[in-house]
Order: sequence, then C-alpha cells, then structure tokens
Amino acid sequence: MSHPEKVQQKIDAYLMQLRRSLGELPPDEVSEILKEIRGHILERAEASGELTEERLVAILKALGSPDQIAPLYQADALVARARSSLSPRVVMRGIHRWSSLSAWGFVLFVLGVAGYATGAALALGGLLKIFAPSQIGAWVGPHAVFDIGVNNDPAARDVLGWWLVPVGLVGGPALIMATTRVLRWTLRFARIRRPTTA
Amino acid sequence: MAPNVGSTPSENWETQIRKGWLDLVILASLWKEKLYGLDIIRRLEAHSDLLLSEGTIYPILGRLKRDGLIESEWVESDAGHPRKYYWLTPSGRRRAAAMARYTKTFFARIDSLIEPILAKEER
Repeated sequence: MSHPEKVQQKIDAYLMQLRRSLGELPPDEVSEILKEIRGHILERAEASGELTEERLVAILKALGSPDQIAPLYQADALVARARSSLSPRVVMRGIHRWSSLSAWGFVLFVLGVAGYATGAALALGGLLKIFAPSQIGAWVGPHAVFDIGVNNDPAARDVLGWWLVPVGLVGGPALIMATTRVLRWTLRFARIRRPTTA
Repeated sequence: MAPNVGSTPSENWETQIRKGWLDLVILASLWKEKLYGLDIIRRLEAHSDLLLSEGTIYPILGRLKRDGLIESEWVESDAGHPRKYYWLTPSGRRRAAAMARYTKTFFARIDSLIEPILAKEER
C-alpha cells in the first residue's frame, strides 16, 4: 500500500536536509540545486509506477545521502569563487577548503597566512612610523634577526629609517595583492578530491 | 607528499579510477544531443559502471558549466516539473575531442604494458 503523504514528507525531509547541508552556498545556487534534485526524485518516482515508501527509500539511496552530495557542491563552489575573487577573505576561504583536502592546499594556506601577515605588518609599520618614528622601524638585531615593529633590543639597528614609510605603505599593500594573485593562480590547479559516494 | 586528509579508508584505487573518467563520459554523452541529468545517468548506467552514486553527477555538471564546457537551460516538460538540459559549448566539444584522442592513445600504450599480466593469467 502506498502512503502519498508519508512519501511526500520523506522527499521534503531529504530536500530540507540537503538545503541545510548546502548552507554555505549563495541562496540562488541552493534553490537551483534543490530544483534539479527534486526533479530527479520525482522523475525516478514516476518511472517506478506506484510509489511506495520502500521504492522511495531505494531512489534516495541510489541518489546518495545529502551529507554525501552537499560537500561535492561546496568544495567546488568555494574554490570556484575564490579563483575569481580579489578579496583576501574569499581567496583564503577557498585555499582553506583546499587545504583540508590536500597537502598542497595546506602548504599554500600556510604561505597565504605568511604573505598576508607580512604584508599587513609592512603596511602597519609604514603607517605607525609616521606617528612614532623612534619606536617603530625595520630592525636588524646583533644575531641578524629581522623585525618590523617596536624594538626591545638596544643593540638592534633601524636599517630603513624614514624609508619604512614609503616601503611599508607601498610594499605592504603590494605584497597583499601579490599574495592574492599567486593564491588565485595556484587555485586553478586545485583538483578537489570528492569524498567517496559509493 | 603527505597523505590526503580528504580520502576515506574505503576509497580504493577502483573508486579513484572511476571518478577520473566521469568528466569524459559525461562530455561524451552530450556529444550528439542535449540531455538532462537523469538522461545522462541512464546513459552512463547503460554503457559503463562508472557511476557509484547518482547524486555525484549533478555537482560535476555544475563544475563543467563553471568551466565553460557545457551550458544549461530549464525546459518545461509534460512530466509536470521542469528539466535542466545540458549541451556542449564549442570549448566543451574541443575538450571532449582532445580527451577522447588522449584516452585512445593512452589505452593503446597501457594495453601493451598490461598484456603480459593478462596473458599469464589466462594460462
């Protein structure tokens, strides 16, 4: 015996769970995905004649669980957005996603953090040098330690002096932009491994 | 290189090989005509055992579209719900042709390498 209401509930529950799992994607993308998957389920159901609960369970099983399908969309979509974005945040999110999937992604994630941090330190150093010229500098200590910022070591030398202002203010943002460009470029080669859906 | 964090223990070499071919067989299924998702799935079922889970196909179609290899359009059907049809773009046709040629040569070479294994097994 078929239970149309129960069957409908099951389909809705499946789609609802898929929607939840797709959470990170833009809403219009999510509704497009749900529309397509819904069509798939309905069409499989129609082809099976009378739709029983057991039959529906089999259809959904063949489709794969929402938890299996959703990451396949997400991994790809996040990286795809990062590839075409100029925002360090979006790019780093894509790289971060990649880093959870491959060792190359992880290496790039670390390089990305280093690039952005150095760029930000340069820019900040250049800016602060204007207001606190004696404390802020590009210091080289006696053990050849290089450090931009506030100096605590009396033996250290400020190697850039006032040059830190133009170097920091131009070099910092330039380094940040270069990091973005390089990370985006490497993302073109990101082969996102899809979790097993067997 | 360190092991991939994303792989699960159940992921064996066979799964990997199957996944690698999905792009090609999807593009190949669209070579002659426009198809919607379930059409493609039915075709793959009939001609290969590559598809492990039907839902896998839809994210791949999305990626191929983002890469500009295929295009899509919703079409109303008498089934009562719209279907999303896919077809190859010119660059998709070029990619499919290149992949097909590559595959042919690839297998011809591999064939001669694995032949001794199979010959020995048959004996």
